Amino acid sequence: MIGLLERAAAAEPDRIAVVTPEGAATYPALLDDARRVAGTLVDRRTTSAVLVEPDVSWVIRVLAGAALVGVDICQFQADIDGSAFAVQSEALGYFPVLTRRPDLARAVDTIPTSALRDGTPVTDRRSGPQPVTIRTTGTTGTPKAARHDWSVLARTVAAVEPRPHQRWLMAYGPHQFAGIQVLQHVIASHATLIAPFPRQPADGLAALLEHEVTCVSATPTYWRFLLAEARSRGVALPPLEQVTLGGEAAPAELLASLRSAFPAARISHIYASTEFGSVASVADGRPGLPVSSLARDENPTANLRIVDGELQVRAAAGMLGYVGSAAPDDAEPSWRPTGDLVTVVGDRVVFTGRTSEVINVGGVKVHPLPIEERIGALPRVEMARVFGRSNRLTGAIVAAEVVPVPGLDDGGLDDLRHEIRSAVADLPRAWHPRSVNFVNSIATRGAKTVRRMEP
Amino acid sequence: MAQDKNTTLAVIEQFLKLVQKEPEALTDDLPLYGEGLGLDSLEAAELSAVLEDKFGSDPFSAGGDLPQTVGDILGFYEAPATA
Repeated sequence: MIGLLERAAAAEPDRIAVVTPEGAATYPALLDDARRVAGTLVDRRTTSAVLVEPDVSWVIRVLAGAALVGVDICQFQADIDGSAFAVQSEALGYFPVLTRRPDLARAVDTIPTSALRDGTPVTDRRSGPQPVTIRTTGTTGTPKAARHDWSVLARTVAAVEPRPHQRWLMAYGPHQFAGIQVLQHVIASHATLIAPFPRQPADGLAALLEHEVTCVSATPTYWRFLLAEARSRGVALPPLEQVTLGGEAAPAELLASLRSAFPAARISHIYASTEFGSVASVADGRPGLPVSSLARDENPTANLRIVDGELQVRAAAGMLGYVGSAAPDDAEPSWRPTGDLVTVVGDRVVFTGRTSEVINVGGVKVHPLPIEERIGALPRVEMARVFGRSNRLTGAIVAAEVVPVPGLDDGGLDDLRHEIRSAVADLPRAWHPRSVNFVNSIATRGAKTVRRMEP
Repeated sequence: MAQDKNTTLAVIEQFLKLVQKEPEALTDDLPLYGEGLGLDSLEAAELSAVLEDKFGSDPFSAGGDLPQTVGDILGFYEAPATA
């Protein structure tokens, strides 16, 4: 992180690195601040700290400054509930807390973000590891904290060529693994990051329209919301150079919508996770991964394989370990389950859902994604979410929440109910949604669709 | 939370139309399964969800014996003491 920032500041001394609601900062200004943050952390004899900060300029200052002096930073989402923060940060055991939020302040162990710049600048990098801790989004339960090293993370952007004209939207939180990837990519490109806060799709759309954004990386759920927002506001989307999807499976119907919304863009999707980093990137506009990304006799170095229908990843270049558990044995790269369920269809590895999202309907294992894709592809459906709902008769049933296009009357909704039934008719009967509710919005967490079982 | 019988019947009728199992006459003694409406467990589960969404509780999930006839469902909402 600090190395990337040093190179960008040297190469592009006048370039705006980041634009946030609090202002703009150049690369050299950010680097100078990072060195001051490093001084503060050294003065405080800090070895690890928690950061809760909405402004991305500040996040870069702290992450780069901490990397300079080997301090392990773990971010929590900026708007985290105070009592949840108390419990989760206590369990993590990192001190002090760096934050501007007075409600999170603990009596002794807090440094207000604004005071971090008061230190004496440090320029010499401390030798040794540059740890950083990244928490999972907790789509499937309590977030876990995964320890990484910046020197390993930076390998993922080692091949990035400078493209200083690019203007990237920060659609992820900087506390998320994907957000860290975007930060690294933008700095490695010597480009400009547009980082609105809050970071809802509507804020992203506003940034697209106001700040001449050229590149966006976001989850499929975020893209769906952004396209729907643009449609309902009747605005013309600006041309984009790069459209990236990650964090969830990218269904064909969404890829097609993005292709027609951004005809000139390179559209790619990334398969990555907080634990394993970026594993594969696909830019051929088709859903799923090519079969060639799987390890097999003629391709022994690939980092993916399928065991019992679940995708496994080789954890060689991944994280150092989870906080609170022993580090994995790096000498013996091991295969780890990803929780992603896949099937091979022709030359593609197609995602069918997450192990944690499987719905057991009377003993039949049902995957929500194929159902969600069929409903989501209907012209009169804006968005759909499929999940399990408890039921006394069958243990669970498949439930769907559907956001219809605006302006449907009761008759239209009745017709849509029948259309949904027809759309899933090719699936086994246990897969058919037995509860369909029309709603105004669907539940998300970390800009991913929530598909966990509901009571 | 007693429901008007006609309201309950309308919800059942709408459901039966959706699953294409409309009877000639929706009478109280019509069995829900087998020779009657012929609902299977998935359809019965669906009906229970529809009723719960509409009325907040349903006779399939309430514990005790499962309803056997249309009348059992109507009776559940007419005598809500067990709900």
